[in-house]
Order: sequence, then C-alpha cells, then structure tokens
Amino acid sequence: MITGIAAVINSPRDYYKIKKPVIIIAKKTHPDIVISIKNVKAIVTELDNKLCHAAIIAREYGIPLVMGAENATKEFRTGDKITVDIKRKMIWKTQ
Amino acid sequence: MEDPIIDLLACTYRLDVAGVEKNLKILWSEYQKIIHQKSNWKNINRARAILYFIGYIYPEWITVQSLERRIRFIKPPLTLNAFLVTVDRNDQRILKKYKNNEKFKKLSRFYKIVKSVKNKVANGTYLDENTFNEQYEKLKPKDHF
Repeated sequence: MITGIAAVINSPRDYYKIKKPVIIIAKKTHPDIVISIKNVKAIVTELDNKLCHAAIIAREYGIPLVMGAENATKEFRTGDKITVDIKRKMIWKTQ
Repeated sequence: MEDPIIDLLACTYRLDVAGVEKNLKILWSEYQKIIHQKSNWKNINRARAILYFIGYIYPEWITVQSLERRIRFIKPPLTLNAFLVTVDRNDQRILKKYKNNEKFKKLSRFYKIVKSVKNKVANGTYLDENTFNEQYEKLKPKDHF
C-alpha cells in the first residue's frame, strides 16, 4: 500500500506544478508526466488498458499503478491525503 | 491507392512489422500535413479519424488483441503482462531466455513501434493535439451537431 498526497490532473499543464512527491490521479496520463516523474509515487487512472500511456510509463519507470478507478478524478481533490492498495485496486482518503 | 489504415490492418494480420511502421509513418505524415496547412472540414475530419485511430483504436485495441493472440505461441510461455514488463523495463534476465527466439523478437519490435506512437509529442502536445484542436474549432460549421 502507498500513502501520499493526491495530485488530480485535468490538463497536461498540471504536471508542471508538481514539486513534491504525489500520487497522480487522472482520467488518463499524457507524455508530459515525464516532467514530474521523479515525484510520482503511484498513478491512478480512470481508463484501463494494457497499452494506454499510463500503463507503458508505469512499466518503464516501475511506478505502482491502479487503472480502472471510475470517477477517481471527481472523488478526490489535489492535496487530499490518500492510500492506494495496488493489489486490491482500491483508493481511499486517509486522515 | 490503398488506404494506409486498411494496409496497416493487413500488415498487422501478417505481423509485417516493417509494413506496420511504414503505414504508421504515412498516417502520421498525412495527419501532420492536414493540420499544418490550409484545410477544410472534410480533411480535418480525416485528420480526426487518423488521430483517433493511431492514438487510440490501433494501439489500445487492435495491438493489444494482436499481442494477446500471439503471445500464446511464445516458448517458454509468458503472460502478456510479463512480456510487456520485460520489454518496457528491458529486463535482461528474462530477455536472454528469448535471445534466439525470432517470434519473441518480432513481437517485441512490433510492440516498440506501436509504443513509440503512444509516446509521440509534437509542438508540445501528445500527437500534436493542440494544433489539431485549434484547426478543428476554426473549421467546425456553426450548425454542426
């Protein structure tokens, strides 16, 4: 399980705002994620596909990934403290 | 002249990796040409079709299905996930098991070519989407629905 601060991505520009380690939450990722890759602890995406960009990036950089998290970009806000259970594909807010 | 989308599919069925690469390049060039020159509503929708095809349908559906079907023929056997992780991480420990396996090497080349499209950035955006979006909005008829 990974706990950290959520960064909800609504536009590729959002990757440039990341200055501290975060858990990315996005509908799908974008090549600009490499700008902040050193600060990405985990990735959560709404879309789920073995060849989507997030899946490729997660494999290339060895970053934990949960795909298919429906409405994750609506349920969480940037700055929320969250925990991601990679094996069970679950995400929840942490106090 | 044969449509490169059709030829790309035919090359995928044959696993003609050079043909896949050639047709992806042709489609990318056509897309770039349309969005960077004076265009019209018909052409910009051709560009939209190419963008959707090479950016989504081809890699995320057709390629995944093609890999899933063919991975079963690789010996020693490995799952599609294991194949993708091995190639993406360039895991030499596993790759050396398949050093002389032509099917594995061909499938790996095919995947890397398709992956290069998913990582392609032009003019600062994925698959030059900003340029496409700007052109599309300019050309969209006011009564389009």
